[in-house]
Amino acid sequence: MVQINFAQKQVNAKIVYYGPGMSGKTTNLEVVHQRAPSPNRGDLTSISTDGDRTLFFDFMPLDLGTVAGMRTCFQIYTVPGQVYYNSTRKLVLQGVDGVVFVADSSAAMVQENLESLKNLEQNLNEYGKSLASLPHIIQFNKRDLPDALPVEELQKLLNAHNAPCIEAIANTGQGVFPTLKALASRVLETIHTGARGAPGTGGTAAPAAPAMPPAGQTGFTQRAGQPGAPATRTSHAPAPSAPTPGAPQPRPAMPSHAQPGQTQRAPLQVAADATGRTGFHPPPQQHTISMAHGPATGMPANPMGMGHAPKTGPQIMHGHGMPPAPSGMGGHGGHGGHSGTGHPAGGSSIQMMRPHEAKAPSPSLSATGFNRSRPPAPARAAARPTTHRPTAKRPTAQRVATGTTSAESGKKKSARTMMLVIVALVAGAVMAFAVLT
Amino acid sequence: MISDQNLRNDRLVFYTRDVQKIEGELDGFLELSGARSAFLIDKEGHMVTRRGETVQNSLEAISALIAGSFAATREMARLLGEAQFSTLFHQGQRDSIQVTLVGERALFATVFDGRTNLGLVRYYATETASHLSEILNEMLTRPVSESAPPGDQLSSDYSQSAAAALDKLF
Repeated sequence: MVQINFAQKQVNAKIVYYGPGMSGKTTNLEVVHQRAPSPNRGDLTSISTDGDRTLFFDFMPLDLGTVAGMRTCFQIYTVPGQVYYNSTRKLVLQGVDGVVFVADSSAAMVQENLESLKNLEQNLNEYGKSLASLPHIIQFNKRDLPDALPVEELQKLLNAHNAPCIEAIANTGQGVFPTLKALASRVLETIHTGARGAPGTGGTAAPAAPAMPPAGQTGFTQRAGQPGAPATRTSHAPAPSAPTPGAPQPRPAMPSHAQPGQTQRAPLQVAADATGRTGFHPPPQQHTISMAHGPATGMPANPMGMGHAPKTGPQIMHGHGMPPAPSGMGGHGGHGGHSGTGHPAGGSSIQMMRPHEAKAPSPSLSATGFNRSRPPAPARAAARPTTHRPTAKRPTAQRVATGTTSAESGKKKSARTMMLVIVALVAGAVMAFAVLT
Repeated sequence: MISDQNLRNDRLVFYTRDVQKIEGELDGFLELSGARSAFLIDKEGHMVTRRGETVQNSLEAISALIAGSFAATREMARLLGEAQFSTLFHQGQRDSIQVTLVGERALFATVFDGRTNLGLVRYYATETASHLSEILNEMLTRPVSESAPPGDQLSSDYSQSAAAALDKLF
């Protein structure tokens, strides 16, 4: 829920990155933290397990600066992606103003994507919201995987509401800022109109649109025919996902994500830019959102949508001290050793990465079991390569909670699930308190 | 200018006069209880206002963590058959935090140390939360026609300016 505070001259909005486990939500946030100008970004706070899996949430404030006399801030959260953590995931969604759904493009992750999207809709419904009316963006992440599904297919599967879709390779930074920018602009539009982002009205039906909550439950009034919204959606749909002719570049051979027994698709030659894997370069045209979106929101066409190159006019980033984006984010290459060696077995860690620590993580405070420096995205990417499915890392309890091992009776299982949920919640609360102190 | 009705659709708007009343309550609480600092945070984790000693760390992160922590305990309460736990207390070696629910949409958090004691803080916190709840309730039930004081209005070009700011940032 947007908070407008005239006494503090401040506007606050809440953005949540949602998606299945290991789809790249935290990586998105880390890239934003590393690349955003330091005056604009706050500390990156993570409540995660030893295995760098988000336990409660990751959080980072992003200050847009003073806009029309009001300091405008986005509070950016990620949720734990694992099915097991639905309780905490639902908590993070409270009062959300916009959602980025980070989908894993791998063919092996189709079911996880669908389940997570369904879970998002269910959790939103509990707060009286729906994807049909909430500003949201679908990010097709991990486009560099050899078994990545075609964008058109992912659109059909995941984009029932005709939301803008952006292709990304989050661990190289590609597509991360365009995603955030697209959502931020949609959220800010809603402040002006007093209505949530209009759902797709451009001819594409929303076949799986869930029932809207009763009107008045949240005081929200959906207004049909928002100015600009139809044009935005109408012209958006598949346009940005079309590969750029002449730009395909074969990816290095990577192990397949496909699980045994699953259909293995032929590797897709993703039309990515030639520099995509070696630096933080502007993404190719197909990685940007609809061309119509810029004019609709009053933004000039900026297919790059990111990059810290000097611009004309007032320079917000002036003096922020950020070095140029290192090639392949190699500036973090020296960081290592975050393998949980200093942590108690089975424990979890809380990290708060301050702006000045973004490039030079502080040593871990292993004596307390807490590590205040989260390894940067590349280090984490190295630790958990995108070609490696983390199924082995998932706790057995997760399968119990999701019902995939159904040896127990229903009653016993629900009691056990409840206990596990309480344990997870207590752990989250303790982690939060530990950060506060 | 954007109409007040639009501003109040699915959002929380704090006008200057409301925040001044809230700050008056927080100041009174700090004086009586001897606590170090007091915060009013909405349930989404956005800071409304704070009084007392300056907190060195990121206020945004503190607000988000307090809200997250409270949300977690509320979920625990629900699982145990309680409507909610209205008070949350974390005791530290030097500083402690107490969080009290204010109405349905805000949290009153206070940080205190050994210069006072829990009983005193809890007593005055309960009283202050009640007063804050009245202020928030009055805000939320106020007729729309009365609630937009001059000067507390969002510029009509806010969205356009915000879009330009986004272009500069990214």
